Amino acid sequence: MRLAEWQTRMRDTLLGPGGFDPALLARLADPPDQRERRLSVYRNNVRHALFSVLEAAFPVVRQLIGAECFTATALTFITEHPPQAPVLYAYGSDFADFLSSFRPLTELPWLADVARLEWARNEVLFAAESAALTPDQLATVPPEELGGLCIGVRPTTHWLASDWPIHAIWAAHQPDGPPLETVDLHQAESVMIWRRDGVVRQELLTAGESALLTAFTAGRPLAEVAEAGLEQDPALDFSAALARWLNESVLEEPIMDISLPHACGSSP
Amino acid sequence: MPTSRKRATLPAQAGIGLRHPHLPAFLAAPQPVAWLEVHSENYLAPGGPRLAALERLRSDYPLSCHGVGLSLGSAEGLDAAHLARLRGLYDRLEPAAISEHLAWSTAPDGTFLADLLPLPYTDELLTIVAANIERAQEALGRRLLVENPSTYLRFQQTDWDEAAFLSELVRRTDCGLLLDVNNLYVSAANHGGDPEAALNALPLAAVGEIHIAGHARVATSWGELLIDDHSSPVAEPVWALLTTTLRLTGPRPVLVEWDTQIPELPVLLAEAERARICLREITNAPG
Repeated sequence: MRLAEWQTRMRDTLLGPGGFDPALLARLADPPDQRERRLSVYRNNVRHALFSVLEAAFPVVRQLIGAECFTATALTFITEHPPQAPVLYAYGSDFADFLSSFRPLTELPWLADVARLEWARNEVLFAAESAALTPDQLATVPPEELGGLCIGVRPTTHWLASDWPIHAIWAAHQPDGPPLETVDLHQAESVMIWRRDGVVRQELLTAGESALLTAFTAGRPLAEVAEAGLEQDPALDFSAALARWLNESVLEEPIMDISLPHACGSSP
Repeated sequence: MPTSRKRATLPAQAGIGLRHPHLPAFLAAPQPVAWLEVHSENYLAPGGPRLAALERLRSDYPLSCHGVGLSLGSAEGLDAAHLARLRGLYDRLEPAAISEHLAWSTAPDGTFLADLLPLPYTDELLTIVAANIERAQEALGRRLLVENPSTYLRFQQTDWDEAAFLSELVRRTDCGLLLDVNNLYVSAANHGGDPEAALNALPLAAVGEIHIAGHARVATSWGELLIDDHSSPVAEPVWALLTTTLRLTGPRPVLVEWDTQIPELPVLLAEAERARICLREITNAPG
């Protein structure tokens, strides 16, 4: 058996749920009654390594469905979706999608969105640094140019909208969090997750604030961002939201020199 | 030798594997350890507090980067994207040494199995691994240290024993050897071999770094199987084998690894202190 074929068979037997491939066992020099036990060391190592990654990334999902169910679910995921690159900080990106279609768990419709929230926290933790726009920098922009200013959202800022109370469910599973019984499971929530000073943070967004982040990301100038937010929520305090996000390092310094007059989009 | 730029070398002293739970202690105060090693794959993310911490510590401690994902034994060759990721990290950190394993972890379809899987030491494999090492040294711009693996099974069809295979790799590729003394002990115990005989057969002049770690003993129907799980203190026979090794190689950088059930930092530092004493004893010994 050539090395490539042997490695393909090893892949299948280590990830597979069944017994060991007899063709592999037949190639070993160890006594026949020891071969499965020896091969099982590697199967255990592979599963343990990948399981540990998922366990660390999805602690709330694990609490929600229980350790035993989480283990069975994660092992099925590992078999069906093993990593395709040796970059394990990125392993689990499609776990939420898997959960949403995993039949044994479909009676927990909010579970996949909680997993998306946990994955967003993981992505925020490992996202690249970029220069944050500070309140002082923004203060140097002449008032007449503010409306045309394009401000981006930092790679360390994510947000997601859910039909379920994902922030409340998540908070109920933190140390000293409120009990899960107090959560209204029919409440839709939008959450912003961001990193400041190396720590991942998250908070609820109002509908207006969600509209602001969407408009920022679309590259729209500040005046249009404000309009989009107020259209969604006439009671939105745009200045207060902007000031808070500047203090929290949520927004990105524009690529162009902020002291120069500039606007978004193509020049006329 | 693909390297041309002059770089710092690892000191022939005791170091420890730097793990995430110990980052705060290292950031808060200098720790009594001569050098640090990290798993390269734990620092490939584009940003975040761990990478920032390592970049800070980098200026205070000589650093070794230990790869656990390049899969030198892959039949289909190395993953170009992964080589590029590692090159980026190494150019950023400028480690004093880089290493990989005589093992495989990436299957022909690209699946990463997250373990150091065993290889049959055949002529076919020798050609494959030698080519992979040469490509890696070229792409990374540095000499690789290649680590002897801990193994739990043996193959019927082999053309080489492990020591001879490693010697031939060193000869063909000019790579160095990362001698894991615990792996040597674990593999010998699991296959009924003599670790000192295996030690003497290795290309010891090529040893650029030494690893020691704890292992577990698991009962089986035929006796004990030793599992290289890095979850406990270094076993007494491994300390003895370390001293034997150092008498043969002379002083070398010695690293204590502890990867699961990670203890408080002082426990790990005490292991490094014992390694320091081993190093001092062999340098003071006559002859």
